[in-house]
Amino acid sequence: MSSNDEQPAAANRDAANWAKLVSRLKVAQVPDGAVNLNVDGRQLTSPIQGFGKMWQKTYVVRLPGERVTPTELIATWRRQFGEFWPKGNHFYAPLTGIEPGDVALLNLRMPGGTTLSTGVMVLYADEESFTLMTPQGHMFAGWITFSAARQDDETVVQSQVLMRASDPIFELALTMGGHRQEDLFWSQTLGNVAAHFGHPDAVVETKVVCVDKRRQWSRWRNVWHSSAIRSTIYMVEAPIRAITPHKRPAA
Amino acid sequence: MTTREAVARVRRREGVAVIELIGDLNAAAEPALDEAWTAATSERPEAVVLSFENSGYINSTGIALVVGLLASARTHRIPIRAYGLSDHYREIFEITRLADFMAIEDDEDSAVQRAVQGAGGDGNG
Repeated sequence: MSSNDEQPAAANRDAANWAKLVSRLKVAQVPDGAVNLNVDGRQLTSPIQGFGKMWQKTYVVRLPGERVTPTELIATWRRQFGEFWPKGNHFYAPLTGIEPGDVALLNLRMPGGTTLSTGVMVLYADEESFTLMTPQGHMFAGWITFSAARQDDETVVQSQVLMRASDPIFELALTMGGHRQEDLFWSQTLGNVAAHFGHPDAVVETKVVCVDKRRQWSRWRNVWHSSAIRSTIYMVEAPIRAITPHKRPAA
Repeated sequence: MTTREAVARVRRREGVAVIELIGDLNAAAEPALDEAWTAATSERPEAVVLSFENSGYINSTGIALVVGLLASARTHRIPIRAYGLSDHYREIFEITRLADFMAIEDDEDSAVQRAVQGAGGDGNG
């Protein structure tokens, strides 16, 4: 068998699209208003490192091809990513937009008025797709790929999540309505993208596949990093921090 | 960007199914990969070895497809290994942490031999 002669060429084609290897995440800058919790020093987690069942969730919306091309759509999405999120949730990306290796902070609205603080790293980005990967403590271990492609006369816009709940608590939360909330979140996001390009009534299709029904019980210790628990502790400690400002964390 | 259509060929060696991935590993590769996986596991192999020796460009969707194979391998308790990755894609497997669950060998002989022997773990974590 010949060696992989074409691989160096392939690698050169996409070297700039992938993030560089990092052992632990580091938030370069904390935007005003963002809470920087549960990201610095965390390792990335693939869907294989999580606890719960493995799911592949695909959300699709179709736009007329003459309205926007896939590359135009992805360029806009990368530049204004957080603006398409449902209200009350914040994605703090670098000002330059989404680039491979960037670390973004997420402050997500949770039931009961709490805010869950976590983050993501941009694993991959090219002209027609980009992928975010989660760190330890995020509600799910995995990644989400956003893409656009031309099919016949349409620009097909897709978000695809490949994930396991990170720990037993998040698995329980997902089972008790969390999956429905997540489906709603990404459906609304794609609806907002469609509305941005002039199609507020576009229908978002959802397809959910359980890739692996088994739970990985050996991963229950992931709960140590839980962003839900740590975010709650952070909120409970807020009055104490208010009178001891020198102990204030990076926020 | 020009792409090379994905082809996945299956052959057997010492009870191990070798899936040879040719071309680009992206969303368009899913049917070929699914078909190859079904063929490779129809007669239960000792292990599955993925050959990236002749693969080209791999994007994040292609990596997700590999994760799907890993999940299926885990479900069916089939050890899985890989070889033929360039330094660049070895690093991608490190970043995405696939390397935690899939032993990566230098060549086919090593991959098949270790798969048969079950040496160095079963590659499924």
